[in-house]
Amino acid sequence: MRIRAPKDFWSGLLFIGIAAAFIGLAQQYKMGDMHRMGPALFPTLVGVLLAALGVIIALRSFVIDGPPVPRFQARPLIVSLAAIALFGLALNFLGLVAAIVALVLVGAWATREVKLVQTVLLAALLAVFSVAVFVWLLGLPLPLWPTS
Amino acid sequence: MDTLSNLAFGLGVALGWQNIIYCFIGCFLGTLVGVLPGIGPVATVAMLLPFTFGLGPAPALIMLAGIYYGAQYGGSTTAILVNIPGESSSVVTTLDGYQMARRGRAGPALGIAAIGSFIAGCIATLVVAYFAPPLAELALKFSPPEYFSLMVFGLVAAVVLARGSLMKAIAMVCVGILLGLVGTDVNSGVVRFALGQVELADGIGFVAIAMAFFGITDVVLNLEQNDKQEVFTSRIGSVLPTLSDLRTCFWSIARGTGLGSILGILPGGGALLASFAAYMFEKKIAKPPRAFGEGDIRGVAAPESANNAGAQTSFIPMLTLGIPSNPTMALMVGALMIQGIAPGPQVMTERPELFWGLIASMWIGNLMLLVLNLPLVGLWIKLLAVPYRLLFPAIFVFCCIGVYTVDNKIFDVYALAVLSGIGYLLLKLDCEPAPLILGFILGPMMEENMRRAMMIAFGDATVFVTRPISAAFLIAAAALLIVIAAPALRAKREEALQE
Repeated sequence: MRIRAPKDFWSGLLFIGIAAAFIGLAQQYKMGDMHRMGPALFPTLVGVLLAALGVIIALRSFVIDGPPVPRFQARPLIVSLAAIALFGLALNFLGLVAAIVALVLVGAWATREVKLVQTVLLAALLAVFSVAVFVWLLGLPLPLWPTS
Repeated sequence: MDTLSNLAFGLGVALGWQNIIYCFIGCFLGTLVGVLPGIGPVATVAMLLPFTFGLGPAPALIMLAGIYYGAQYGGSTTAILVNIPGESSSVVTTLDGYQMARRGRAGPALGIAAIGSFIAGCIATLVVAYFAPPLAELALKFSPPEYFSLMVFGLVAAVVLARGSLMKAIAMVCVGILLGLVGTDVNSGVVRFALGQVELADGIGFVAIAMAFFGITDVVLNLEQNDKQEVFTSRIGSVLPTLSDLRTCFWSIARGTGLGSILGILPGGGALLASFAAYMFEKKIAKPPRAFGEGDIRGVAAPESANNAGAQTSFIPMLTLGIPSNPTMALMVGALMIQGIAPGPQVMTERPELFWGLIASMWIGNLMLLVLNLPLVGLWIKLLAVPYRLLFPAIFVFCCIGVYTVDNKIFDVYALAVLSGIGYLLLKLDCEPAPLILGFILGPMMEENMRRAMMIAFGDATVFVTRPISAAFLIAAAALLIVIAAPALRAKREEALQE
């Protein structure tokens, strides 16, 4: 037996995993019956359907041919996600201005062609623009500066 | 006659100076963001959503609609000038549009896209005005079993028309439904699948999901490939097409509008399917000499008219049934909910100013697009010259601020990061995100309607097939699945979507 459609194989496994997680978690709630459906029933039904589809997709990957899973590039993904998480962290403690600067200065490294001076200018520009538009013009409740 | 007076009433609402301004801002911002390569309408609408939070329901919806068709139009500008479709519905525009630009006819290509879109938009507005009310009236008679089956049909239809594997798309719908169920169960008050996180009691933010899957993930994928594209920014010349261009395109625009209007109403249809179908139809039916693929102006006029018509008529199922037919409409439903309005057929009777105001504003919005785009083409082109390395941090900033301001929860920003990672993995495995978003929005509604249906029927599941309307939806859904699963037709569908 050889996996002939790796993309399908892994997505099948992923679907089975997700289904198993939801079905497992659902069992702590009341199942009820068809007349009075408990909070566990519908998720379990959908979960079973998803698991069944996952099994079919995974098994089918031994029969039909498909493209290989493309290479994952670590840099863009990891830097981007880290920058976004950092924004959240900074917004919580340091306020919007610092959060934007942090997001831009870190996020810009997601590509190799980063240029430092331009990035710093961009961070400043975006910070000023965002504060002006979102906070002053639209009046959205965003903390601007560190809250002590 | 009734429709006309309703439209007049709507025009009265839409022509309020406040609404005109919001419509204008929406069109402007939508085009501005839509022009940027690699940002589709879903990401645009999600990113600009916070701009509407301070507004009332009617101006907010009018502005969002403006953003939507602005983004749509902006996408075609990018398609013609850079050969990168800003969104999937302008993929076909790149075929002939870019070739026209290479031959020094970028101006007329942009012009005919704007004119075609305008004509299509006007006619599609009438279609919405005439078709939505009877549909809403019909929908008012639906009870839970009908609603449940309708949603099943809607999801199946949306999936059938999606790209890629059918089986994976249905699985993605299921994943979406399950993710949609995270949070407090309205019926029993139980907090489900929250993993002990207090923030998850309200569920996963739909803006976070939409932005993660259509915004951040796309940026990351764009960053992975760095092929340079030739941009025709130097000289565009006059954007006005010649009289003979207009004569050539007249029927193309008409056909595109017709096809687009019909396909837009279908669940899962909307702009994407409309533009593909219109292009292929045009290729077959257009009068010789045909030069499709080498810069035939009809190859721009037809799909551009169709995608605008489709974008507009895709509001019909959203407005009348409360059922989104594509991810952008799912965002609209979400925006309505944020405004405290339950989408569905009752919107037309309970909030007529919203319903008719929105429809009438489509007219005004299309006029604005025309006025905005022809003279401002130069500005949009300058935007295209901004290098991507400066663009994407800005996208991050707006996404992060947008996702935070929905509920002012830091948690949503972290959720955005995590969901982006998941979205990346799924895209690498060729799992399309659109079905997931639809499942996410419809999941809780489906559970609720199924529960009510079962309650009334004392747990007898045959109620879904013994009630005629409900049975019809389910049979239609099953028929669609069988038709698509049949091998001969599947090959055809692949071929059609590949072109």
